[in-house]
Amino acid sequence: MDSETAKPSKYERFKIETKPARHVYQIPNKFDVSAKKVRLAAMLVHEAFEYKLNKEVVLSRPCIYGVFGGRFGGFKPLKHKCVGCMRCVQEYPHIMTVKHSDSYKRLGDSFWTPEAVFTIWNEASTGKIPVKGMGYKGAFGGEGFDGIWTDMSEIVRPTRDGVYGREYISTSVDVGRKPTSVDFNKIDRAPSTVEIPVPIIFDKVPVGNGPIRSAVGMAAEKLGTFYISRSRTPFDFGPANLIPIVDEETIQDLVERPAAIVEYDADRADIFEKLRSALPSSIVIARLPLHEDSGTVACKLAREGVHGLHLYADYHGQDYSKQPQHISASLKVVHQQLVKEGLRDQVTIIASGGITLAEHVPKAIICGADLVGIDTTVLVALQAEFKGETRDRTNCQMKPREIDPEWGAQRLVNLMGVWHDQLIEILSAMGMRDVRRLRGDIGRSMMDAELREQSFKGIAWAT
Amino acid sequence: MGNLELIVEKHSERIHHGLEVLPTLRHGLPAGLGNKRWTAELILATYEMALTGELPKNGLEYKTGDSGGGFDVLGWKNNGFAKIDQNTVDLSIELNKREEGRKIEIPLPIYGGGMSFGSISLNFMLARARAAKKIGTYMSTGEGGYPDAIVPYRDHVITQVATGMFGVREETIQYAPIVEFKYAQGAKPGLGGHLLADKVTSEVAKMRESSMFTSLYSPFPFHSVYSVEDHKKHVDWIKTVNPRALVSVKVSTPTDVDMVAIGSYYAGANIIHIDGGYGGTGAAPEIAKKNIAMPIEYAIPKVHDYLVSEGVRDQVVLIASGGIRTADDIAKVIALGADGCVVATAEAVAVGCTHCGNCERGRGCQVGITTTDPELSQFIDPEWGETRIVNLFTAWSKRLRSILAGFGLESVRDLRGRRDLLVR
Ligand code: SF4
Ligand code: SF4
Repeated sequence: MDSETAKPSKYERFKIETKPARHVYQIPNKFDVSAKKVRLAAMLVHEAFEYKLNKEVVLSRPCIYGVFGGRFGGFKPLKHKCVGCMRCVQEYPHIMTVKHSDSYKRLGDSFWTPEAVFTIWNEASTGKIPVKGMGYKGAFGGEGFDGIWTDMSEIVRPTRDGVYGREYISTSVDVGRKPTSVDFNKIDRAPSTVEIPVPIIFDKVPVGNGPIRSAVGMAAEKLGTFYISRSRTPFDFGPANLIPIVDEETIQDLVERPAAIVEYDADRADIFEKLRSALPSSIVIARLPLHEDSGTVACKLAREGVHGLHLYADYHGQDYSKQPQHISASLKVVHQQLVKEGLRDQVTIIASGGITLAEHVPKAIICGADLVGIDTTVLVALQAEFKGETRDRTNCQMKPREIDPEWGAQRLVNLMGVWHDQLIEILSAMGMRDVRRLRGDIGRSMMDAELREQSFKGIAWAT
Repeated sequence: MGNLELIVEKHSERIHHGLEVLPTLRHGLPAGLGNKRWTAELILATYEMALTGELPKNGLEYKTGDSGGGFDVLGWKNNGFAKIDQNTVDLSIELNKREEGRKIEIPLPIYGGGMSFGSISLNFMLARARAAKKIGTYMSTGEGGYPDAIVPYRDHVITQVATGMFGVREETIQYAPIVEFKYAQGAKPGLGGHLLADKVTSEVAKMRESSMFTSLYSPFPFHSVYSVEDHKKHVDWIKTVNPRALVSVKVSTPTDVDMVAIGSYYAGANIIHIDGGYGGTGAAPEIAKKNIAMPIEYAIPKVHDYLVSEGVRDQVVLIASGGIRTADDIAKVIALGADGCVVATAEAVAVGCTHCGNCERGRGCQVGITTTDPELSQFIDPEWGETRIVNLFTAWSKRLRSILAGFGLESVRDLRGRRDLLVR
């Protein structure tokens, strides 16, 4: 090619730029360290004699994290520095007490554990993957996503090079109806799918204020993903990344300013017809709660021509069946019914409700989603306060804080950066180069309940 | 004595004293200690066993944790068995069941897992090597090379060959009674090792033939292995360099762990070592530890049953690791179908680990285990560490003998695959 006419390459590998966005509101100390002061004083006197007033030795502290490095040493420990290593308790068990602080233990609600809240805060603040030594420390398996393990490959895989960026692992997904055959009459029409670089969008913020919605919108724009809102107020930053939830009154606004993707509440069948004729170039997604009949409803909607389904559980990840079950179980049912009826590739599935940790993204995809939406997690990243139970979509007990939208956007970019990196870890371990391959691939997962039955077969129940 | 020595002495003494006093519960159960897998009681019980060589007598729970699954929900049947004298119970297992090759037996169904120089202190490594020698078992170098200081213990040291090939030299393979190929590890299944830059001191860099204070990543997987045939070439390579060595193949626990095991057997492995997803000592992303690969409790029966169905079970040794904390866990591992097990975290707890997970923060471990900090490393005197690890294994032997005697079993080999003795 003539070098004069050659255009500079536009290729840029997808990467999420994280940078520290520290907590603006003070977070509780995880550990509460305290000393029995009289015993501490007695110990100092004792050591002064023992080490013949050698100040350096007497005042050398058991803590390598500087908790006793303040002016008053152990009399006024710098509690925020404590990482719970317990060495001070080992050395001075009669003086020191270290426990999980009450304010830490009060974090979250019946679903959001203090550990999960801390994880999200730290991911949003640092943009770094949580790393710890000495093995796993939590419960064994469990319900919902905790009862799913992802596979790994001993030999054939894209290699760890994927994690360090030397080999590309794609996390892009398509939203919309994939053409099932070539239609030459439609060649010049708008594409039927939109590609987003991470399989995560921001669902409608459970409770919010202007700056929070701005932060979400800005983060979506930076990440190249989307955010959902019912609000009709156009935001300052433009609606390019907005997925509006449309009703009769808002269709007309959208005719004037079309959105690439729109959602509507699935129980309004009449709206779908109107949307289809009014917004022929938009991807139309039906939003519906997950319950025992969702599979049948999903198939019906797919046949009617919707381009996607946004299946949601409550904010604790429980569906709306008479006997609520976890979103992982109900997603599988819908996915498998669509597969069985030959409809799965005609719709995109977005899953939301209870997606609160990085590991939930690949697990929801394994259960059949194409991508996920996050909701209360956004508020946690933005340091909203828990005021009670967050489960109910119509009455979520979280109180958003006043925030600077730029700060909020960076926190959300950090969170998505860390989740993206963790998704790569999971895909890399499995030997997958493309997250799209993971969809519904239950064979690359292991379920606690099934493994228990297989491996503990023959082990009698205790009487 | 200079101030630095005095400071090290002061804190070593205080830590040792604490490890003695805490299990007495004189000051109560430390509220911030432990977690669901390693509960405060299990940690203190391990301190006590490491001190005395006896099982705790003050009611401290030393058998199970609080994880709500796996080992923690398995118990033992407790009636209808003709008991035998504990002292007659044999705990030894063989590490080579093939007709060819050297015969090796260890007196307990346990050996020490890979923890590499650089990720742990040399003093802790020495303590482990000395304990292995004293007991007559083995410990693995991990992937960080073979420090000269452990050469005197080489008859009890397994040389690990991992993907980074750090410190793998002809002589370190020739030293080894057993060579361990690490294909994968439970702490980060499907992901390679990662030693943070801060830990790569001049000694570590020299050992690994790398640059100082530069992060070291091990690739994953072996870039020279893409099939069982390639894997066999690896095994042949080791057997050529050291024909007397047994070969162990360490893998993680994917869905097809049974296929991986049979492939390793046909490639010539003497030991198939499966490392479950919840274990490991190395620093790893939390997402990997919790979510990738199946727990060892589920993998053992799957592999054991498959090897039985293929008719090769009695020609290969199945060793399990990954979250094995107690003598009861060891016995359960064997009842589920393994021949024996590998432990590492428990050895760290024996010398004062609190399972706090701060191994990679700042200067590394505050009590000298996972650190290369010159001052902190000195908290573990190798002789003291050796005694503690030997004591722990001694206490475990007592518990193992008591379990076996209770079922009328004369040898730990007779426990293998006896799931009928377990209850859930
Ligand atoms: S627990 Fe560890 S970090 Fe916290 S004060 Fe004690 S020594 Fe310092
Ligand atoms: S830092 Fe904590 S978990 Fe790591 S070895 Fe030391 S005591 Fe154990």
